[in-house]
Amino acid sequence: MFFLELIAQSLVQGSIYALIALGLTLVYGLLRILHVAHASLFTLGAYVGVLTYNATGSLALTLLAAMLVSGLSGVAMFRLAYKPLLKQPPHVALIASIGLFIAAEECFRIAFGASGLSFTNTPLQGQVRIGSLQFKEAEIAVMLGAALILGVLAWLQSHTRVGIACQATVSDPQMAESFGITLNTVRDLNFLVGSALAGFAGVWVAVLNNLVEPTMGSVPSYKALAIIVLGGMGSVPGTLMAALVLGLVESFGTVYLGKVLDRNAIAFAFLIVVLMVRPQGLFAKK
Amino acid sequence: MHQRSSNLNTAQSLLLAAAFFGTSGAALADIKVGITVPSTGFAAADGKSALDGAKLAIAQANAKGGVKGEKIELVVYDDQASPKEAVPAATKLVEKDKVVAAIGGSYSGATRASASVFQAAQVPYAVAYAIHPDITKTGDFMFRVSAMGEVQGRAGAKLVNDLGKKKVALINIKNDFGQSLAAGFKEGAAKFGLTIVGEHEYSLQDRQFGALIANLKSQDPEVIYASGYFYTAGPLVNQLRAAGVTATIIGQEGYDSDKFMEIAGPASEGVLVTTSLDRDSSNPATKAFLADYKAAYNAGADMVAAATYTATQVVIDGLNKTGGKGGAALRDAMAAGTYDSPIGKLSFNDLHEVKKDIQVQIVKDKAFRRHSIISDPVLLAPPSKSSK
Amino acid sequence: MDYEISLLTTIGISIMFALSLNLITGFCGQISLGHAAFLGVGAYTSAMLTKAGLPFLLTIPASMALAGILGIIVGMASLRVRADFLAITTMGVVFLFIGLVRQQEWLGGEMGLSGFPDSGLGKTGFMLLTLLLAALTAAISLYIQKAWIGRVFSGIAEDEDTMRVLGIDVPSYKLAAFAIGTALAGAAGALYASHLKFIGPDSFSFVESITVLSMVVVGGIGSVVWVAIAAAVLSALPGWFQFIGDYKLLVYGGLLFVMMRFSPHGLAGMVKALSSKKGGAQ
Repeated sequence: MFFLELIAQSLVQGSIYALIALGLTLVYGLLRILHVAHASLFTLGAYVGVLTYNATGSLALTLLAAMLVSGLSGVAMFRLAYKPLLKQPPHVALIASIGLFIAAEECFRIAFGASGLSFTNTPLQGQVRIGSLQFKEAEIAVMLGAALILGVLAWLQSHTRVGIACQATVSDPQMAESFGITLNTVRDLNFLVGSALAGFAGVWVAVLNNLVEPTMGSVPSYKALAIIVLGGMGSVPGTLMAALVLGLVESFGTVYLGKVLDRNAIAFAFLIVVLMVRPQGLFAKK
Repeated sequence: MHQRSSNLNTAQSLLLAAAFFGTSGAALADIKVGITVPSTGFAAADGKSALDGAKLAIAQANAKGGVKGEKIELVVYDDQASPKEAVPAATKLVEKDKVVAAIGGSYSGATRASASVFQAAQVPYAVAYAIHPDITKTGDFMFRVSAMGEVQGRAGAKLVNDLGKKKVALINIKNDFGQSLAAGFKEGAAKFGLTIVGEHEYSLQDRQFGALIANLKSQDPEVIYASGYFYTAGPLVNQLRAAGVTATIIGQEGYDSDKFMEIAGPASEGVLVTTSLDRDSSNPATKAFLADYKAAYNAGADMVAAATYTATQVVIDGLNKTGGKGGAALRDAMAAGTYDSPIGKLSFNDLHEVKKDIQVQIVKDKAFRRHSIISDPVLLAPPSKSSK
Repeated sequence: MDYEISLLTTIGISIMFALSLNLITGFCGQISLGHAAFLGVGAYTSAMLTKAGLPFLLTIPASMALAGILGIIVGMASLRVRADFLAITTMGVVFLFIGLVRQQEWLGGEMGLSGFPDSGLGKTGFMLLTLLLAALTAAISLYIQKAWIGRVFSGIAEDEDTMRVLGIDVPSYKLAAFAIGTALAGAAGALYASHLKFIGPDSFSFVESITVLSMVVVGGIGSVVWVAIAAAVLSALPGWFQFIGDYKLLVYGGLLFVMMRFSPHGLAGMVKALSSKKGGAQ
């Protein structure tokens, strides 16, 4: 029973990680940039989510608003920050991204206050029993939502012109253009989708914790980096699996190894061990 | 010739300046009191409360004419609740701003770091709510107005006993705050014959406690003694109740903020906390503070604000007695005083720890109300110099 | 004067720390996001040894040795993984370091270490030592840059595969870069501990690694002089910026971003661009 609960918790964590890491892997796969600032879109989604829900009471509207704002902000980040730096060595974009991330967190703090925001009436707090396990409705929702969205994305990537073109832009830009889709459109699309997902994840974390803080993106930012490395950078299915694996490792790790290492250390210890054994990542195709 | 005359001019101007400041200096120069708070970083919320509490005390003192007619100036430095930032902040206060006293409005780690700087410079440091034992052990210029971690922990154990329960699970936040509370609790638990069925830890940044809660459920405790701050305790308590855990939850002053109820929602009902601020207090100093704070900031005061206000009061009181001078005279004045503060009647022992009761508050209808008072001078005796 | 001495000491340590990273990342092109761990190793080593009674000056070589050995281990990890992966692996090293230190009571655990004996040099003496070591680090860096080893480093940074083809033992050189860079960071760590008189796991977080990397990048990767200047400015900045108090992190983040966006080669790049413009105009 305890075991099952841990697995259930891992799935919830893993779903959230997957949603955040996906945007990161899309960007990396396309541009080879470590988009640290991605996590600030997660936080942005959470803030927009709380504000919208407190104002309207509609979860659907909230999710839409958060995804839209985050998605568009992501595209803006690309246009303003990364596009001009594409020809520079990778560390330039990395530091720029870090600077952007720090500045963003501070903007959140200055704009919304240091103590954070909460829902006046948190949605989906009811209990759901599945067998011997007890979940919050929100936990079920985030797992289902993640599965649905990621499933759709995976399907789109392999079955539509846009999707295949996206994949092609990495390996063969000319061919992508022949599909009638320009390089720039693909890039914008990648950022749009990835950032929207981060915003979506942000809303759910806000619902689960009932607390949105300016620094809530810090930990996800580097966890997501660890995940995309584990998953074999650029691979969507790989990232998904890695996210779930990390959820499992963290849950079981904190219970059994908690006295020796803390949660983050466990995650990174796992990463380092994996990389030493398989330097290309757990699920890389090559 | 040319060189000499310019030297003379410089010397003349210096003399003039010295005279100017010498005579009228006393009226012009403010009395500088420093404060270290986490204005940015993860503890920024508490930093704001602390600063607001201190500012209120200073404003009230200045309105009454300051210290012997001179206004008190509060020099604020942000230490981000990090020891790394605290040391330069404290150093600047001592060396650059030359403050006569300082107030510690930050967390334990940062305060410990600042403490050694102030002690070395012989600047009295009144610590508001950092509870680590080493702070006062740093030296005799250190003062603490809140109950230490160990003392609070013992009080927590007594509370469990008073409630008639025996099986306790501990959830400790992994920092010096959590560690000292846990140490005190375990000491008290031994005295009262409580059984600790499990001990769990979590990090400052954790907000999701799924695995921890699953583990805890399997231990079936009657009471959960959980340390943390409102931004960790809020989600924790919410998730505990959501997972079907019905055990009584006891927290400490880290929970002491209206934000806790906001975050935890209905799950916060019935949570007990050991703290220093009694919202239902009949003590005039407390009532006045709560009212003044609300009027000044349009927000309810929390323990951090009350403690920092008190620490500031202690400093101002001491300054009034020494006429604005610092150093050993100020230290002695502060040590000898008794204070009627928002967090109770205070007096210091020889280690400059306070001897006072612990308030127990319970969350009822989304507000902290009085539950009981733990008053046991023997149990709650803070360490003194001899027991070092 | 006291305050200025403290400040100069802090600046000296930062310069040393930044230049040590410059060797690994700047000269040899290995992006390390874990450099704070080596500062930490040096600091803890020195603190523990002084507590055990060893005179401070003797702890410096010990800190260097330990940090250097760990640096080689981490360097060996760098041999296995590609550049981007390396950045994240090194990031993991910091978390691992802090995570381990936090749980060890004998290292002070959560609460960290304090009350370890002074360097015995007095404030001014210590400052002079720090500045001396910083200058030494700069001298070593400049020497390496001009020497054969430095050319190999920059060759590896630019095109690793070609270097391999040329018969260069790339792995050994990478390890050498790590060893030297981390040993110097260890020395900086010893100074850091003695200066602050208080160290805890929080002093060596991922944020520290980012800060020192920013100093290297803002200065201009590879440029010894400009990295030193950037380190001095960025470490003194918070002090000057107290008046913007609430906004200082915002300014810092913005600065990093603007710098990278408009002058990716850092200050060194800006200076080069300006002087070539002048040259062109003439």
